[in-house]
Amino acid sequence: MTKTVTLTIDDQQVTVPEGTLIVNAAKMVGIDIPVFCYHPKMEPVGMCRQCLVEVGRPAIDRATGQPVLEDGKPKIQFGPKLETACTTPVSEGMVVLTHSEKARAAQKEILEFLLTSHPLDCPVCDKGGECPLQNLTLAYGPAESRFLYSEKHHAEKHVPLGDKIWLDRERCIQCGRCIRFQEIIAGDPVLSFYQRGRDTDIITHSDPPFDSIFSGNTTDICPVGALTTADFRFGARPWEMKAAASICSLCPVGCNLTFNTRREAKAGGKVVIKRAMPRQNEQVNEIWICDRGRFNWHYVEDPSRLTHPLVKKDGKLEKASWSAAIEAAGNQVKGNQVLVVASGRLSNEDLFNLKQLADGLGGEALLYDSLPGGELTTRYGVSAGTNLGDLGAGSAILVAAADLYHEAPIWYLRVKAAAERGANLVIVNPEATRLDKYAKKLVRCGKDEAAAKVRELAAELTAAENLVVFFGRTADRNLAEDCAALLQGREGRANNGLIGVWPRANDQGAWELGYKPVDPSTGSGQALAQAVKGKVVYLAAADPAGDDPQLAEALKGAKAVIVQELFPTKTASLADVVFPAQAFTERDGSYTSGERRVQRFYPATPPLGESRADFAIAAAVAAAAGLEVEGRSALLVMDKLAAAVPAFVGISYRKLAEVTEQWPIVGRGDLYYGGTTYENRQGLGVQLNVSTFKRSNVVRGRAL
Amino acid sequence: MSLAEEYPEQIQKIFAKYPPDRKQSAVMPLLHLAQLGKGFVDRHDLVEIADLCGITETDVAEIVGFYTLYHDKPEGKLRIQVCTDIACALRGADEFLAQLCERLGIRPGETTPDGLVMVEAVMCLAACDKAPMFQVQGPDGISYHENMTVEKTLEFIETARKEVK
Amino acid sequence: MPVLEPIVELARGLWTTLRSMAEKPVTVQYPEQKRPVKPRFRGRHVLKRYDNGLEKCIGCALCAAACPADAIFVEASENTDEERYSPGDRYASTYEINMLRCIYCGFCEDACPTEAIVLGDNYELSFTDRREAIYPKEMLLEPVPAGGAPTPQKTEPGKFTRSVPEMKDPAD
Repeated sequence: MTKTVTLTIDDQQVTVPEGTLIVNAAKMVGIDIPVFCYHPKMEPVGMCRQCLVEVGRPAIDRATGQPVLEDGKPKIQFGPKLETACTTPVSEGMVVLTHSEKARAAQKEILEFLLTSHPLDCPVCDKGGECPLQNLTLAYGPAESRFLYSEKHHAEKHVPLGDKIWLDRERCIQCGRCIRFQEIIAGDPVLSFYQRGRDTDIITHSDPPFDSIFSGNTTDICPVGALTTADFRFGARPWEMKAAASICSLCPVGCNLTFNTRREAKAGGKVVIKRAMPRQNEQVNEIWICDRGRFNWHYVEDPSRLTHPLVKKDGKLEKASWSAAIEAAGNQVKGNQVLVVASGRLSNEDLFNLKQLADGLGGEALLYDSLPGGELTTRYGVSAGTNLGDLGAGSAILVAAADLYHEAPIWYLRVKAAAERGANLVIVNPEATRLDKYAKKLVRCGKDEAAAKVRELAAELTAAENLVVFFGRTADRNLAEDCAALLQGREGRANNGLIGVWPRANDQGAWELGYKPVDPSTGSGQALAQAVKGKVVYLAAADPAGDDPQLAEALKGAKAVIVQELFPTKTASLADVVFPAQAFTERDGSYTSGERRVQRFYPATPPLGESRADFAIAAAVAAAAGLEVEGRSALLVMDKLAAAVPAFVGISYRKLAEVTEQWPIVGRGDLYYGGTTYENRQGLGVQLNVSTFKRSNVVRGRAL
Repeated sequence: MSLAEEYPEQIQKIFAKYPPDRKQSAVMPLLHLAQLGKGFVDRHDLVEIADLCGITETDVAEIVGFYTLYHDKPEGKLRIQVCTDIACALRGADEFLAQLCERLGIRPGETTPDGLVMVEAVMCLAACDKAPMFQVQGPDGISYHENMTVEKTLEFIETARKEVK
Repeated sequence: MPVLEPIVELARGLWTTLRSMAEKPVTVQYPEQKRPVKPRFRGRHVLKRYDNGLEKCIGCALCAAACPADAIFVEASENTDEERYSPGDRYASTYEINMLRCIYCGFCEDACPTEAIVLGDNYELSFTDRREAIYPKEMLLEPVPAGGAPTPQKTEPGKFTRSVPEMKDPAD
């Protein structure tokens, strides 16, 4: 146990771990000390002086070394000057006055001083309404300034720092949060101060400018409107938007998002997504998201999306009613073996229903993915209680054949932090990656040698108390198996396991549900080309024809092709029946992240056109073929799924929506403290256990 | 021409002063070196110094920005830096700066049309008792001029004009 | 005397009638004749322009936030020097007021940082359809003043960089 310290803050007794900073100790008991430059995720610097408080410590008699007593109580000696609460650690018997006259006066004067250089153009500022400077000025600041208006500092208001982030030099209060985030947390030190005093500016000299995939986070933690995103610029005022919880669909990390939506005249009166913001989940993405997650959701509003079912008539796809299309598809699949080819873009519920369809008709369900080793992650994957944030000294992390920075940026962030806490990071990769500089050991080798190199490292890695292994993009079957072999005997142990850096958000879910792999990359997709011949092929969210002309040719040899998709793909053009699917922003469902965490997403916007959710389409087709598959709601499908798949036992939508208190506190009224990241009130998700059923099936000579 | 081509020996000498794993310590002498001929540090120099010291270009630019002895834009050949901090101001330094600029027909931070003189206000130069004072950065290095008047300064500029040309 | 009482009362009533026939009437012949409104009358909104024709409205939507009836809808877009609607970076690309919802409280005027929205003296609003009651920006904007140019204008770069007019020292 860490030592605790008891102190008094504003007449309130507080017991906190030793080394806690006053500002955090106060926060833990609900006392707000205003800050600008301090951020709970970063070391304090004490630059802005906003957190000045009165600090008193028990007086010690120099002769005896004993506390001086006054009326039987220790005498408290207050310093002549105020101290910054963000840099001062707590000590035993300390007395802190955060709202005394002296402290309030200092806090007020610092605000008055900051405002002398601030343009106060809040009406046109994107931060207006969720701005710490605005909020703190109202709470602590002076109503009037004693400084001359004509001496206000003027600077450039329009500086693009790269193509995603814009800087307004006039609004900047030089807190350095963005610079420190880039340097300490992201490890991309591409921002810095230039000049000094009142002329201090934020600059970037990287090529391309502001070269970091985490750049968007600086806009969340910027306590003023100095850094804003080009994507959202003037999109709406913060108070006008509604919030919908979601999960990022672009990589297997499963970052928790909040989509902000608004009804918009520009979009013809439709409700549209205006921006994506991170939602706190300390076990997944903490309070950060990468720029891909923040800006690349726009594909869901692409005008080319399918809006109506299409049925092939005389060799041409024509608009049809849902009932006609379902009937046509039902007729095709009835009594036939159906080959389902789905991708990890679909939710657990969709994949489950599609598998029901395939199993019910005696067919097979394949996952369209190029990375092998899926079934290994269901046996050796990380299980309940795992948090990359807990890894540190004594842990080992192997990253094999993966570039986490580009493939799964938030994992890069978390692995980097673990390495900095002392975890033994080993990288085996054919090319240089940004993670390399944090590695204790770096093995550069060709794709074919990787497996052998991993075997060589086995002794070193397995000696660690905790071992997490990532494998990705260029991994082959051998490498995946050798990575899994490292984890034998650690199945089901928290903070241990195998993580596949899959290309899509829910590939892990598909593996957990028992999907079989097809490998479109080997032999130019010959395996799949063989498999589809003469079969009824049911493709969901997969476009093999678009990826490989040979597969397009092969699909022509199929008995029938049924497609459910977002877009009119090449594959869809070859289909007999095409169903328009809903995007993940238009419906509810759940994804299973690479860390085997099942997380719920919620609808943000109404569905486009006549589109329906993938699980509902699959259920309707199954019903037309005489099968009974649940398709009324995602919640009910999850109930069926949890009953049928051992790994998901005990999971329900209610369980997925449970939350516990997280630190640091973000959102709510605490924008000044943690930034504009949303508080998580919609569920932290549930991490899957390695099921006993799977354990008894362990291969590679290990019987349990 | 790159710095490595222009000053190979000096660069070696600079790096020899620091431990091999503390290369970034050489950044300030290297910036002086880059400024030697042309009076400012250009974008190429930034990139090269960043590479030589193993830090990012942004970090080098930060140092150039922070210190008033480094410049990243070509200005007048003589850079007159007048200290206007509080102690100097009490001895009339700000008045001195204003009058000097008026006589030269420029504003603080600007260069005379002939490109000879640039006048700017800087922070403490550690000569408070001899204010008004300024330092001159020119082709011959840095010189201090203390207990100055506007007349004396203009004389100095006239002499320098002949020498520089 | 009980017999005379009704006659007296009748005469008194008729006298009132006769007297008011001679008085100046309080009514006017609306709509031919209109009564001037009071200086602080709150009628239909007008979106003001600067003398050069640029719109005062910067699309900040504070009026919409202040509106207790949720009658105002604003959507902002970005100005460029090629196509400038208002000073600064931001202008209202959509500005609508639902006149059926509006309660003419004037909170929008109070909230406006540029004094762009003003409740005018027009009280003659009539619609034949609920949709017509939504007044778009074109209907709300005042005509371009003499000497000004219509928006969008092509402007000199660096001239209109500030959305909110320069603040004046309150001590002056």
